[in-house]
Amino acid sequence: MDAIRTEGLTKHYKVGFWRPRPYVALDNLNLSVGQGEVFGFLGPNGAGKTTTLKLLMQLIYPTSGYAEILGKPVGDVAVKQRIGYLPENPYFYDNLTAEELLIYFARMFGCSASEGRARASRLLDEVGIGAERRFQLRKFSKGMVQRVGIAQALINEPELVFLDEPMSGLDPLGRREVRELILRLRDRGCTVFFSSHVLSDAEALCSRVAIVAKGRLAASGSLDELTAVGSRGWELVVSGLTPDVLKRLMPRLTRATPLGDGRYSLELPPSTAPEPLIAELCGARVVSLNPLRGTLEDVFVEQVKATGSGARLMEKVAS
Amino acid sequence: MGTKPVRKHSPLLWVYLVVLLATGTTMQVVLEGRLQRPAAKPGVHWIQSPGLMRRLTVGFNAIWADIYWIRAVQYYGDTKLSLDEKKEYDQLYPLLDITTSLDPYFNIAYRFGSILLSEGYPNGPGNTDQAIALLKKGIREQPNKWQYYHDAGFVEYWWRQDAHAAAKWFLEAASKPNAPNWLEPLAASVLAEHGERDASRALWSTLKETAEHDWIRKAAERGLMQLDAEAHIEILEPYVQKFFDKYGRFPKGWQEMTGGPERWLRNLPRDPAGYIYQLDPVTGSITVAKDSPLFPLRRRIRG
Amino acid sequence: MRAIAIIAGGVFRDSIRDRIGYGLVFFSIMLMASSFLLAQLTAGQDVKIIKDLGLAAASAIGLFIAIFFGIGLVTKEVERRSIYSLLSKPVTRTQFVLGKYLGLVMTLLINLSVMAAAFYGVLLYLDFTTLDGAKVAWEAPALDPRMLKAFALIGVELMLITATAIFFSTFSSPFLSVAMTFAVYIIGHFGEDLKNLNAIVKSVVLPYITKGVYYVMPNLTALDVKSAVVHGLPVSGSSMLLATASCLVYITTLLVGSILIFSRRDLK
Repeated sequence: MDAIRTEGLTKHYKVGFWRPRPYVALDNLNLSVGQGEVFGFLGPNGAGKTTTLKLLMQLIYPTSGYAEILGKPVGDVAVKQRIGYLPENPYFYDNLTAEELLIYFARMFGCSASEGRARASRLLDEVGIGAERRFQLRKFSKGMVQRVGIAQALINEPELVFLDEPMSGLDPLGRREVRELILRLRDRGCTVFFSSHVLSDAEALCSRVAIVAKGRLAASGSLDELTAVGSRGWELVVSGLTPDVLKRLMPRLTRATPLGDGRYSLELPPSTAPEPLIAELCGARVVSLNPLRGTLEDVFVEQVKATGSGARLMEKVAS
Repeated sequence: MGTKPVRKHSPLLWVYLVVLLATGTTMQVVLEGRLQRPAAKPGVHWIQSPGLMRRLTVGFNAIWADIYWIRAVQYYGDTKLSLDEKKEYDQLYPLLDITTSLDPYFNIAYRFGSILLSEGYPNGPGNTDQAIALLKKGIREQPNKWQYYHDAGFVEYWWRQDAHAAAKWFLEAASKPNAPNWLEPLAASVLAEHGERDASRALWSTLKETAEHDWIRKAAERGLMQLDAEAHIEILEPYVQKFFDKYGRFPKGWQEMTGGPERWLRNLPRDPAGYIYQLDPVTGSITVAKDSPLFPLRRRIRG
Repeated sequence: MRAIAIIAGGVFRDSIRDRIGYGLVFFSIMLMASSFLLAQLTAGQDVKIIKDLGLAAASAIGLFIAIFFGIGLVTKEVERRSIYSLLSKPVTRTQFVLGKYLGLVMTLLINLSVMAAAFYGVLLYLDFTTLDGAKVAWEAPALDPRMLKAFALIGVELMLITATAIFFSTFSSPFLSVAMTFAVYIIGHFGEDLKNLNAIVKSVVLPYITKGVYYVMPNLTALDVKSAVVHGLPVSGSSMLLATASCLVYITTLLVGSILIFSRRDLK
């Protein structure tokens, strides 16, 4: 059983008051996420990531299509016992303290007050909220609210967690901590579905990703699959390179970066074979030669460009 | 070389504040003395229509009725005490009308309102039509309240001197549930002409006994004193007539009656409130003094 | 059911921590206490004005809380998006609406009880300090237990207004919701005028329309027994029950409507 499965999931909005035109937020999304995966849901701003999450949480209703969580249609109350959700830019109840919020949510899962308190305490420790847990949420900074948000998503020890931009508002230390938390969740067997537009996080964490742009699925698969498409050239590190040799070689290079100590990092485009170049080094010595693999960023930019420009534009629905 | 601590505001600002406040207050006081006090009229900004008022205050009619009642009482008092040449009570009935439209069960507004409306000028508008109209309104809302019928009869009898109409009201009052048993005898004695003053006395006395409010009780006491004054005047008049018969003119003052060889009167005649009666040297008529609290006596039925 | 109770408890806790709510109740108590001053002006009608003012204050403050807090119940959660995380928990939208409603009703009834206690406190003082001779003039005793009937019906009215506020707030903006809820309150109190408009306005079509409106809308004048209890007039238990039952039907209708509308709504 897949943790998450969507079939033809589509959402149109009507925009404009006098002559409402349909606006495609999501178009025919087919996705499946297996249990135990850390799945990255990537895309530029406005691509439909948050729309997808809201459809999965049944905060909004699809125009057409179908989605399933843990084998049951979305919105199933029994399934909600087993999942957690962190919304984008979360906001909770200002006059509650962090502790009170978590206990409030814990009780909805059937925990007693004391068990709720215990879980809240544990989770607040895990997300790095110390004595501030007794303060009202109105006093919390954005980063602290984000941490509380993560804590409330985990209050019921879920099998499947949905995180919408989990790193948002966090400083580098915080991001590192969240990354480690996600890995810990994975090790516990939890499925993690997170959306982001920060690719380095996805690269570090995900087993599989999907890239959406302009409401459509542009690419999906494991990281290896996606980045293996074509070699992107070579990196040749040399030492003892004289300036006039460098000048002669420049036309065939993408880039030459001095590394100090007379060393250079030369980037060769895919079209240039490295062997003949090495032969023309005239005394400079080869330190290393490595093929350049595509980064996720490259894949991303390419795919997004392929579906049109990254900015959202109004679009008529193809009838 | 120390540094001065940074102060938030110069202390001079406080001085300015105090001076300004004092100046403002002084100017107020000066202006108070110079400005003329406005007349004690309720002003046209009060809404005049009972129906509109009732709709505007939906859900909160009772409290607005109270406000209008306070307003009516204040208006009456201010007008009565004002130093105007001609006192105008024209807003009294509209205010009472609104009060009773907002709260149709506002007992005291009907009863005391009718007393205020009937009160003779200059102590009141002396408008018995309005007084009876107000009571009739109360009767429409609570047809079984004998007190309203009784009050209407009172106005007819005391102010309009219409004994027959009064008796009809008293009899109708007597037919209402819980009516006291003195209403029928009262109606009877009202109709018996020789019993006129006795009937009045009985009316005022029972009102005094059963009055629910201090103010009504005081009004009743005053009425009784006025009756005594009337009786007193009736006793004095023959003596004045005797003087006329002897001297061919009316006395110039009471001294001529208390002094002189005949000594018709022993002391200067005073009304029950203690004020000396007024004797008109031209017509010979005797009335209570203008500054007596019993002024004015109603027009008397002779006989 | 448990979810409803938890959400209701949350609303109640919110209201306790809300300074505005406190201020309003405090203000109404101050108003009642200060009615003593006004009583001096009424030519012997002191008990009446104190009672009138107390009942009016309780009703007005309750109304204010019911409308403004009632509308905020749903709209604040949706606008600020705290509802996103809430609905990801095992809570349905139905339970959400009902929990919010019951929470505010609970708050209102407790506020009303506090105001009733203060009310009787003020009257106790009046009773204590007034001479027996003056009490003869009172149409009803100061500590008249029948006034609780007025409080009870004010409570029912507030429950209805709260349901109305929630209903409008599920589909329209806060400003419009406030305006429409007020309109329901005012129309509900016009009562007789609507039914008999043809006596006032010279029109053929309009009286039919308003008569229809009169029968569809709740008749709030049936719940307004303030004047009757102050004057010591009888208020029959059966009429109270009937008015309450009819209001309960309206409340249920409004809540069902709210749930239907809210369940189908996209929460942007």
